[in-house]
Amino acid sequence: MADTTSYDAIVIGSGISGGWAAKELCEKGLTTLVLERGRNVVHIRDYPTMNLEPWELPHRGAISRQQLKENPLISKAAGYGEDTAHFFVKDRDHPYVQEAPFDWIRGYQVGGKSIIWGRACQRWSRHEFVAPEKLGYGMSWPIGYDDVAPWYSHVERFIGVCGNHDGLEAMPDGEYLPPFDFNCVERHLRDSLRTKYTDRHVVQGRWAHLSKPNPIHLQQGRGTCQARNLCMRGCPYGGYFSSNASTLPWAAKTGKLTIRPDSVVHSIIYDSAKGRATGVRVIDAHTHAVTEFQARIVFVNASALNTNLILLNSTSPRFPHGLGNDSGVLGHYVCHHNYRTSANGKVAGFEDQYWYGRNPTECILVNFRNLGKQDTDFVGGYTTFTGAYRSQPEPADRVGGAYKDALSKPGPWGIYMYMQGETIPKESNHVRLHPTQKDQWGIPLLVTSVKYDENDDKMIRDWRTEAKAMLEAAGCHDVETRDNHQAPGLDIHEMGGARMGRDPKTSLLNEWNQLHACKNVFVTDGACMTSTGNQSPSILYMALTARAVNHAAAELARRNL
Amino acid sequence: MPPMNRREAVRATTLVVGGLLLTSNGLVLGCAREPARIAGRVLTADDQALMEEIADTLLPTTKSSPGARAAGAGAAINLLLSECYEPEQQVRVVNGLKELRKKCDAEFGRAFAALTTQEREQLLRELDATALRAKGHYFELVRELADRAYFSSEIGMTRARRWMLEPGKWVGCVPLLPGQPSWG
Repeated sequence: MADTTSYDAIVIGSGISGGWAAKELCEKGLTTLVLERGRNVVHIRDYPTMNLEPWELPHRGAISRQQLKENPLISKAAGYGEDTAHFFVKDRDHPYVQEAPFDWIRGYQVGGKSIIWGRACQRWSRHEFVAPEKLGYGMSWPIGYDDVAPWYSHVERFIGVCGNHDGLEAMPDGEYLPPFDFNCVERHLRDSLRTKYTDRHVVQGRWAHLSKPNPIHLQQGRGTCQARNLCMRGCPYGGYFSSNASTLPWAAKTGKLTIRPDSVVHSIIYDSAKGRATGVRVIDAHTHAVTEFQARIVFVNASALNTNLILLNSTSPRFPHGLGNDSGVLGHYVCHHNYRTSANGKVAGFEDQYWYGRNPTECILVNFRNLGKQDTDFVGGYTTFTGAYRSQPEPADRVGGAYKDALSKPGPWGIYMYMQGETIPKESNHVRLHPTQKDQWGIPLLVTSVKYDENDDKMIRDWRTEAKAMLEAAGCHDVETRDNHQAPGLDIHEMGGARMGRDPKTSLLNEWNQLHACKNVFVTDGACMTSTGNQSPSILYMALTARAVNHAAAELARRNL
Repeated sequence: MPPMNRREAVRATTLVVGGLLLTSNGLVLGCAREPARIAGRVLTADDQALMEEIADTLLPTTKSSPGARAAGAGAAINLLLSECYEPEQQVRVVNGLKELRKKCDAEFGRAFAALTTQEREQLLRELDATALRAKGHYFELVRELADRAYFSSEIGMTRARRWMLEPGKWVGCVPLLPGQPSWG
């Protein structure tokens, strides 16, 4: 199969949604080619740092001055470290043009950013799908919670998500493995907020970790999470979900999968006579040789902004402004999550309590803003992640044996919080192709033009007030809140540009993630998002992907595609 | 340091420590000569030895765990300072060590390595008090480097604190026993 250029399906990208497309397509019996622009990364084999002790790293985990100097942008990313840097791109290799500051964080390899993702897996509430239209700050999704719910379940069961059943409207329950325990101060925080408020729920993290694997996980070759919390190095146990540990090897077992690393996609080929996409044009990352691959359907899962780039670069007489872009909407309504604000406070007491191991999850303080109705001076909701930790002691005498022994002990407790806020999809927030500048493969550079707005500032003000009040309600002193004014993109939750919608005049994709104007092309990564909601998005991409593949396979069987 | 197994890492550390112990005995320090440079490092062999003496005064061997010298803090400090700190900070440390030598000479008439533990501690407490008052004082960096080098070493992480690569499980709430170290 490796020599052929013709497949039933092509998937562009092997990250979290591309891996799911591959798995589902192969399971439907379709021969599937996965194109990945980066190098190959095989589970376990290609995790060079996974078992290194911290003192075995060249700089004991610190980033060298040289590396920082060469990578001022990517080194800002959450999780970037001496032990994980090889799963992030190098700044110089992949330029783009920032019309406004935008930190575009990328991981180009088989598995994409699924190796280095945050792993939070909350479901959207039913309100989040309709709020933008209902409350007047955007467009409604063509689908609702009930359309996605069974696919959430489908994904949760396979990837393994730990979590508690909390029965909350703002964050519906899913199919969960046992949650990671609260520590004693997190439990205290939960109880304090329960006493003081009626709408503030601190729940255990819903994270893609195998707290207690089921047979389906063991069949994937994955085992119990060992509470190392070194996830982003790649996990030798497959304790957290990644394409590499899970969907890709699963797809390979069907015998239907071909993965082609080092394959930079130039564009999708559209045949106007046939009125459909016929394949994908690929440039070899090293030799720059051009190859065309053919397929009956194409899944675009290149990561939100690269999916925009590929569609914009897929021009033809029929689609001079990019594939499926009759409306001119392609590249617009790019949005992200507001990650600018955080808080922390110190907690007296609990000195005789500790924990064992390293919790790879965080607690979730479920959204309580604008849930189904407008109740603030800003639109959208926010999720808060929180946790309690023991800080380093600050002994008064800072010289000698007592000092060293004091620093070796756990210090006072503290609680941190940070916000993940919804942003408004706006026409003006967009990406486009640079008219002249090109990358080393001759592909136009992407121009990013994405900004925060006044609504984001108002949300931050509200969050800081509430976070301070909640930390104080839990008995914290020395509470500090801050707005770090980080650029959009550093959230690594960029979304939109090829949004789903009912009306082809205002959206790119229909309710099955098909291009309205080119039905055999599906977009099921972050680019498809109509709005951002306030939950972590990856699991929604996975659920939408599985749902779209199911539809695609049915349509193929009916000879509609 | 390329990836190596734990046994090799420990052996390498021990050798370095042996070499530095030699210099710290004053066999080399008293000689009039060009200070020995270490390839790719900001601190000379003498400065590295002095840094290790300072680190070992700040973080000495106690009943509960070996100290900074045993952890090979000098070489680690030199590595971190040389490769992870800004040139301006490197200069501040190098000049700071010169200043410290002068101070030793003026106050005690002897090199730092030749002082008693009590004298060393007294000197560093003075410097610490000064550094707390004056932002940007070199001793702030010296302390940071010492703490960092020690608590990122195998000894600091596993003998002082209790780091484990593989805890195996998570338990949210357990009693903290008297004297129990942090997990690191």
